[in-house]
Amino acid sequence: MEKIKILLVDDEKEFVETLSERIRMREHDSDVALNGEQALKKMDDDLPDVVVLDLKMPGMDGMEVLRRIRKAYPKVQVIMLTGHGSEKDEEEAKKLGAFEYLEKPVEIETLMKKVKKAYKSKFESSMMAATFAEAGEFDTAKEIRDSDEEQDEINKDKKKSK
Amino acid sequence: MNEKDIKFIGKITAGVTHELNNVLASIREISGLMTDILSITDEKSFPRKEKFQTSLGKIQNQVQRGVKLTSQLNKFSHLTDNYKNDIDLNELLEHLIFLTERFARIKNVALQNQSINQTITINTDPLRLQMALFNCISYLLNQTVIGGEISISPEKKGKECLVSITYKGEGINKLSIFKDSTSSDELLSLKSTMENLNGVYELDASNTAVIIKIQSNK
Repeated sequence: MEKIKILLVDDEKEFVETLSERIRMREHDSDVALNGEQALKKMDDDLPDVVVLDLKMPGMDGMEVLRRIRKAYPKVQVIMLTGHGSEKDEEEAKKLGAFEYLEKPVEIETLMKKVKKAYKSKFESSMMAATFAEAGEFDTAKEIRDSDEEQDEINKDKKKSK
Repeated sequence: MNEKDIKFIGKITAGVTHELNNVLASIREISGLMTDILSITDEKSFPRKEKFQTSLGKIQNQVQRGVKLTSQLNKFSHLTDNYKNDIDLNELLEHLIFLTERFARIKNVALQNQSINQTITINTDPLRLQMALFNCISYLLNQTVIGGEISISPEKKGKECLVSITYKGEGINKLSIFKDSTSSDELLSLKSTMENLNGVYELDASNTAVIIKIQSNK
């Protein structure tokens, strides 16, 4: 089983730390950030595969964190996990590129299923490029690969400059 | 109470239910962690392990119950967000039944939602409509000695929306009791709420159901 690196972002300390421990018991890597600013800083240092993000937090709210993650790290999938979110919030989060929108509390097995699905989807763009190449649509395949490579370079440069 | 007062109550309730949900989510994770640890702990090294597992299961069931209650209360508090809104009548009735169930249970009255598969969208004041329906059911429950069944069914006729509330049981002989609107606080409140909604309440021809009629812009 592949180890997935998950970053949990929530200002409810006991909730998020316990959830993190349960994820680690399931043989995955898990780290915790208690607010949006801390989450973005942690991501600059060590990029997770999937972020599980609360919507309502003091300081930078979840929607703004999502916006920034999607802009700086488009390959990182974000699952929103919130209590009593509105349909409007869900719509906005999906528009901004959230992979999934879940209501708190969620069964850990349900959450892990979504995390695994999000992790898998990270590789879908390279699989998509291969499919286009096989179909002879080399320009489209090249475009997808170039965009992926460009993002990888940005991430590498960020790490080097640290 | 004016619109601002109602919005204030709604806002405070929404905030508190959100916090309560966080408390429940934490209890759920903590008891979940205990369950995880127990599942990998040897029976011999943990006396009464089964008893602990059963108790943790009970905590989780109660958390589930609490989550449902806070979630419905949160939904209720958001009825105050907009004075007029497009609402799904079936959804509103489902919510009403959840909120009224406890009062009906005390009187041993079963509440039946007879919603149809067809979506009925209505543009009205959701809080006042909920209040009118609640007052109607509450009045029936107060008139009931004990037992019986109240069924609620929605219908749309052109631009008019109808909700029929039917009582079946021994507790009330005649629904004509509804005719005297000054006979109770609930009926007085129902009457003024219906006026605010530009609607009416009346008995059906056979005196077996109370019908709430409101106009919808939809």
